Amino acid sequence: MSSITLTSSDGVDISVERTTAERSVLIKNMLEDLGDSGEAIPIPNVNEAVLKKVIEWCEHHKHDPPSASDDDDNRRKTTDIDEWDQKFMQVDQEMLFEIILAANYLDIKALLDVGCKTVANMIKGKSPEEIRKTFNIQNDFTSEEEDQIRRENEWAEDR
Amino acid sequence: MEQDPRPRPLTFFRIPLDSPATAMSLAMPPVPHKDDLDSTWSFLEAGIESVMLNLDSGIDMKTYMGLYTAVHNFCTSQKAVASGQGLQGQRGGWFSSLHAAPSASRFELTWTQAHLLGEELYKLLGEYLSCHLSKVFKQSQSHTEEGLLGFYIREWYRYTTAAKYVNHLFRYLNRHWVKREIDEGKKNVYDVYTLHLVKWKGDFFEKVHEKVMDAVLNLIEKQRNGETIEQSQIKSIVDSFVSLGLDENDSSKSTLDVYRQYFQLPFIRATKTYYENESRQFVAENSVVEYMKKAEARLEEEKLRVGLYLHPDVTKSLTDTCLSVLVTAHSTLLRDEFQVLLDNERQEDLARMYRLLSRIKDGLDPLRTTFENHVRRAGLAAVEKVASEGETLEPKLYVDALLQVHTRYQSLVDEAFNGEAEFVRSLDNACREFVNRNRICKTSSSKSPELLAKYTDSLLKKGSKSAEESELEEMLVQIMTVFKYIEDKDVFQKFYSKNLAKRLVHVSSVSDDAETSMISKLKEACGFEYTNKLQRMFQDMQISKDLNNNYKVWQDKVLDDDDRKRMTDAHFQILGTGFWPLNAPTTPFLAPPEIVRTAELFQKFYFDKHSGRKLTWLWQLCKGEIKANYIKNAKVPYTFQVSTYQMGILLLFNEADTLTYEEIEKATTLATEILDPNLSILLKAKVLVASPEGAKPEPSTSFTLNYNFKNKKVKVNLNIQIKSEQKVEADDTHKTIEEDRKLLLQSAIVRIMKSRKKMKHVQLVQEVIQQVKSRFPPKIPDIKKNIEALMEKDYIERMDGDEISYIA
Repeated sequence: MSSITLTSSDGVDISVERTTAERSVLIKNMLEDLGDSGEAIPIPNVNEAVLKKVIEWCEHHKHDPPSASDDDDNRRKTTDIDEWDQKFMQVDQEMLFEIILAANYLDIKALLDVGCKTVANMIKGKSPEEIRKTFNIQNDFTSEEEDQIRRENEWAEDR
Repeated sequence: MEQDPRPRPLTFFRIPLDSPATAMSLAMPPVPHKDDLDSTWSFLEAGIESVMLNLDSGIDMKTYMGLYTAVHNFCTSQKAVASGQGLQGQRGGWFSSLHAAPSASRFELTWTQAHLLGEELYKLLGEYLSCHLSKVFKQSQSHTEEGLLGFYIREWYRYTTAAKYVNHLFRYLNRHWVKREIDEGKKNVYDVYTLHLVKWKGDFFEKVHEKVMDAVLNLIEKQRNGETIEQSQIKSIVDSFVSLGLDENDSSKSTLDVYRQYFQLPFIRATKTYYENESRQFVAENSVVEYMKKAEARLEEEKLRVGLYLHPDVTKSLTDTCLSVLVTAHSTLLRDEFQVLLDNERQEDLARMYRLLSRIKDGLDPLRTTFENHVRRAGLAAVEKVASEGETLEPKLYVDALLQVHTRYQSLVDEAFNGEAEFVRSLDNACREFVNRNRICKTSSSKSPELLAKYTDSLLKKGSKSAEESELEEMLVQIMTVFKYIEDKDVFQKFYSKNLAKRLVHVSSVSDDAETSMISKLKEACGFEYTNKLQRMFQDMQISKDLNNNYKVWQDKVLDDDDRKRMTDAHFQILGTGFWPLNAPTTPFLAPPEIVRTAELFQKFYFDKHSGRKLTWLWQLCKGEIKANYIKNAKVPYTFQVSTYQMGILLLFNEADTLTYEEIEKATTLATEILDPNLSILLKAKVLVASPEGAKPEPSTSFTLNYNFKNKKVKVNLNIQIKSEQKVEADDTHKTIEEDRKLLLQSAIVRIMKSRKKMKHVQLVQEVIQQVKSRFPPKIPDIKKNIEALMEKDYIERMDGDEISYIA
């Protein structure tokens, strides 16, 4: 089983199985285009800590069937996350967002989905105030702006 | 405030504050700042240029990742958002918590509404491709013909290979900006790979396709002229044209439109012109037979051409064009040759003509009539040839002549015309004509069935040249072939049943199996009714066998030894009057007492079993054996096989050595027309000697038993059928046929009227024809005559107008 080396943005080499790394469409395409020269692959946008985390996820999911088409409604609509992934995502918020960004950059759709679902679950059922609190967001709307938004979104309110 | 109320997916942007990619590029411009479009593009352009032009020298991972990252970073940069929409990233940042996190100083996270970045990159990429392709076009102008093809293919290959790379490098753009644009229904936005194709088509293909196609067509013409060409070039061009067919509504799908318009149309046009010219010239210089070979070869060649380097989509229009130019255009010429080929029995050429004409619409129809007439003429000619034999014509000769013609053309239909149903029908029509209406049938159409029945009899009768079982079956099948065409099937039935009766009574069938096989064939062809009597005759034979066995048992019980000594060993056959085509004897006959005793005993037995039945002895069909103990020089006594009449004559000589004609006549009471020929036979065989010597059997001749009789065989057959009898029999048969037909017509009329009650005269006639035509073709005057006859008998009556009604 061939393995390849990835170099994180902070210059750390990480060896990883090729099939694992190929969960990333970016890496998969590149190896397809250039062939495996044995050279380390630079990953300029991801640091060691995040890259390791991402690789851990890829390792666990390396035998997953290739993700279904983009418009797989079932996968998108549900916010269910499998147990392992839930545990995996039990990280501090900063790391969570880093993982999401890396998944987006590396083009790992399934991981991106899990990340977004985790965030969605954090939002679900919370009032705006609670959400602000959760994500430490300052309310910078003026009260007029807030009224306007409320009016515009009236149709969506629970009654 | 431009809040979009619609829910949108979140988009995250990551902006590296210090760029970790500074050490990446080789001959590349410096790594761009994330939100600087100019530097980002010049960095990307240099990369694309090297992918486009120098892919052979390779591209390293750092450059690859750098280019991807530059696209990613640009698309996620914040400034562009700001500049695009005047919305501050910090505004409402849900994730501003990151600011507070310890290491958050390196990150800035924001979200945006609908707007995605990348339009500028997409536009610049398009412009770059246009520019590249205009250079390619300039270069192409210095190439012509095959050189141009080579150039086009090289550039196409290089371009599409690069397109795959660029598509991967711009994947982030595809995933977000392009996807969004397409989802929103924007026209003229494609994924990056498709963009390459669109550009190629618009900026290069549109300008060169005519020149390229000219070169392709010249190449194909060369090949059609027999030169060897580089086929793979054409294949590559076809593939390229096919790739350019994009579905306007869904760029992920492809259509064949471009290929059809720019390749297929000119190709078909050129093909048509080429073969028009070639076939015109070829026909002028060669025979039709040669032309057909040429046309067939060309059709095959074009079919192969599709597989070699064309798109399968062309198959139908190419085939249609070739057929129209090579076959339809010359179909009259081909058909005119048909008769010539038939006359010369050119089976292979006929097959070729069939294959060619069968592929065009209505191509074969005119041939069918010609074929039918030809077969009919051949049949008539064959009959003409055997008809010169006159009255003595052997049935076998006649049937063979018919069969030969049928077999020859059946095999032609099978081999050359692929057994096609329509040709089979033409063959059937022709055969029906010459089987029923030919020189032999001139006197009477019933001649064919009569001869066929006689031939059948000769096959099924025990004889010197009996065929092998399998051979016999084969011949019976052939008889059925002719039988199928016979119109007067009732005539065949008459003769056949007569002959069958004789074979059964005389126990002279080749085999029961053969008889059964023939009957079942007739049954299959004409139905149960047609063979009903034939089968009953068979049954009678079986019943008679059992009856004789029972008779023996009965005799053992009833007779004492004295009785038994006086009995003649005999076998009896009981034939149902209704089923057997046999008549009572035409002459009175006083049977010899030996026979009478035996017959009476049997009658006693029979009437015990079946009282009320009437038995008529068919003496003319009986036969027996008598032992000649009187002949001196024989070590073993001779046995004579004789008819009952002969027996009656010979047994008289037990009482006297010499008898006069009058004495014999008186003792037997036989009519002269029976007595005379039988005496002649006995004289001829020298069993009796006439006096005066050489006298004919006539009054005043006397007959003496020949004690010096000699013969090579111990068993001597004297039971020879008399010629005149045969002739009379055939005439009788024909006479009964007329009578039977009348009955058949009348019963058909009554049957129809009984079920319909009322009917128009014309309809009735039609219906009758329908019902009886499987037996014989009725003449309309005959039908009318029989309708009249039934009116007289008050079965039916004429109503007002043209209606007839049934009288219950």
